[in-house]
Amino acid sequence: MSLAMGVSLGGLAMKNPVTTASGTFASGREYADFIDLSALGALTTKGVSLHAWAGNATPRIAETPSGMLNSIGLQNPGVQAFIDSDLAWLSTQGVPVIVNVSGHSIEEYLAVIALLEPQDAVHAFELNISCPNVDAGGMAFGCSTANVEAVVAKARAATKKPLIVKLTPNVTDIAEIARSAEGAGADALSLINTVLGMAIDAHTRKPRLARVVGGLSGPAIKPIALRLVYEAYRAVAIPLIGMGGIMTGEDAVEFLLAGASAVAVGTANFVNPRATVEVIEGIERYCADNGVTDVKELIGGLLC
Amino acid sequence: MGNVFEGRGTIRRNEQVGPGLFLMEVGEASMARAITPGQFVHVGLPGMEGHILRRPFSVYSACGDSGTIDILYQAVGFGTRHMAGLGPGAAVSLLGPLGRAWHPPEDTRCALLVGGGVGAAPLFLLAAELVRCGSAVDVVLGAQTADALVCRGRYEALLAGAPAKSSLRCATDDGSFGHAGFCTPLVEERLAARSYDYAAVCGPEPMMRIVIGQMEGLPLACEASLERRMACGVGACLSCVVATDEGMRRACVDGPVFDARKVVFA
Repeated sequence: MSLAMGVSLGGLAMKNPVTTASGTFASGREYADFIDLSALGALTTKGVSLHAWAGNATPRIAETPSGMLNSIGLQNPGVQAFIDSDLAWLSTQGVPVIVNVSGHSIEEYLAVIALLEPQDAVHAFELNISCPNVDAGGMAFGCSTANVEAVVAKARAATKKPLIVKLTPNVTDIAEIARSAEGAGADALSLINTVLGMAIDAHTRKPRLARVVGGLSGPAIKPIALRLVYEAYRAVAIPLIGMGGIMTGEDAVEFLLAGASAVAVGTANFVNPRATVEVIEGIERYCADNGVTDVKELIGGLLC
Repeated sequence: MGNVFEGRGTIRRNEQVGPGLFLMEVGEASMARAITPGQFVHVGLPGMEGHILRRPFSVYSACGDSGTIDILYQAVGFGTRHMAGLGPGAAVSLLGPLGRAWHPPEDTRCALLVGGGVGAAPLFLLAAELVRCGSAVDVVLGAQTADALVCRGRYEALLAGAPAKSSLRCATDDGSFGHAGFCTPLVEERLAARSYDYAAVCGPEPMMRIVIGQMEGLPLACEASLERRMACGVGACLSCVVATDEGMRRACVDGPVFDARKVVFA
């Protein structure tokens, strides 16, 4: 029995529903020793900003039960260095590239998109309006419908490529945020970014992150992510990329059932550098075991 | 990167060797052959339940013939305390060989190695390599107490067989062995007595900062091995960055061994 694994993500064709969660995979080079990048449905890069960002002070991570906190702060060399180095290399890897776009202001998001728009190696943009680890921009844009509409509408006007908007879970009503992004022209939504949290060392009485608070990821947040994907799926018609604690193919299937058309593997890459391909294999095995001939049958297939 | 892989190893031995200090011997022949001095392995341990991340450990020694890697570690948190309870036969996952190794100048004739606490371990393979190449190697080790100087025996045995005039000097905070106090006066004495063309330092950062300061203005190459909290271990996540004159660098791939003079200590 043959299995159709391809999905369409707002104009981006993926040969299977698995991509990488931004910030957990750099631009892929670090994982090329372990996997064939062309096996991925798409590769989502680390956040790219207009100028180089140094990121936050260390410690930037803290392990917490079934997960980790991070406050990296979008350290990156800036869009021009990204084009010259990472994108040039990525264009030879045979994988669709989704570039995660970050900024401190709407103007910065637009400037990054303007520089990347002519690049054929960029197949889609993921607008990061949900990073909890920067002072200006990031999550600040993703928490109110007015801000979401403003930044997404301007980004929409700046690109003809598929525009994915990455949402934060740190909001009261994901449905209204999702609808704002859809209304402003988003082709797809990614959810979720990390959940704002903190960890304290009782013995030193100090926070375990230099920035005090950070973003929680890993299996600990999977139930939160599933709930938000489920709610967003019922609120909008555009496709969703589900992410948050996916470690196995079965985890990925749960996100598809909740309504995601694709999934992203994040923190699992740190534990197992082959996690992405093992998730793909796991989805295939699930389909074979359950008589599923087209992975798209799973999307929104939750029985309740 | 090139040759990084995930190896499945088996614990051959895992015992306490000092106060809070443990030595684990892991059988994984390919990794044992691939490690170069100063590199580390990113270890996945069985039975860690909700603790999902790997733990990075410097390699104390690696033997291609026996196919084993030795890891010297201090039980400080959940992971290392759990690790101390694992017995022979347990399976561990090793990601490696990782990181930038020590790079002594090719014509090194006289080297000074300074290790504080468990920082003595990542220097041992370097010492062995320098001895093999015929360099004189002076080693200064510091620890809190005599029984925490757990690498002393191996260094003594190694340096006893060195062809060039080499030495081991130790300091303990409580004076129970060697010089009483920090190891830095021993470093000062060594630097006054001999001219070195290479120095390597590994230990607590305040100690490394002082030792590197002692070498200021001297015409020798100086490297330091740094430790950071780490997630991926392969250069992707940017958790383990070290501030340098050239900006933020990753301890896992740009280090852990850095040009000591470029590191900006806090």
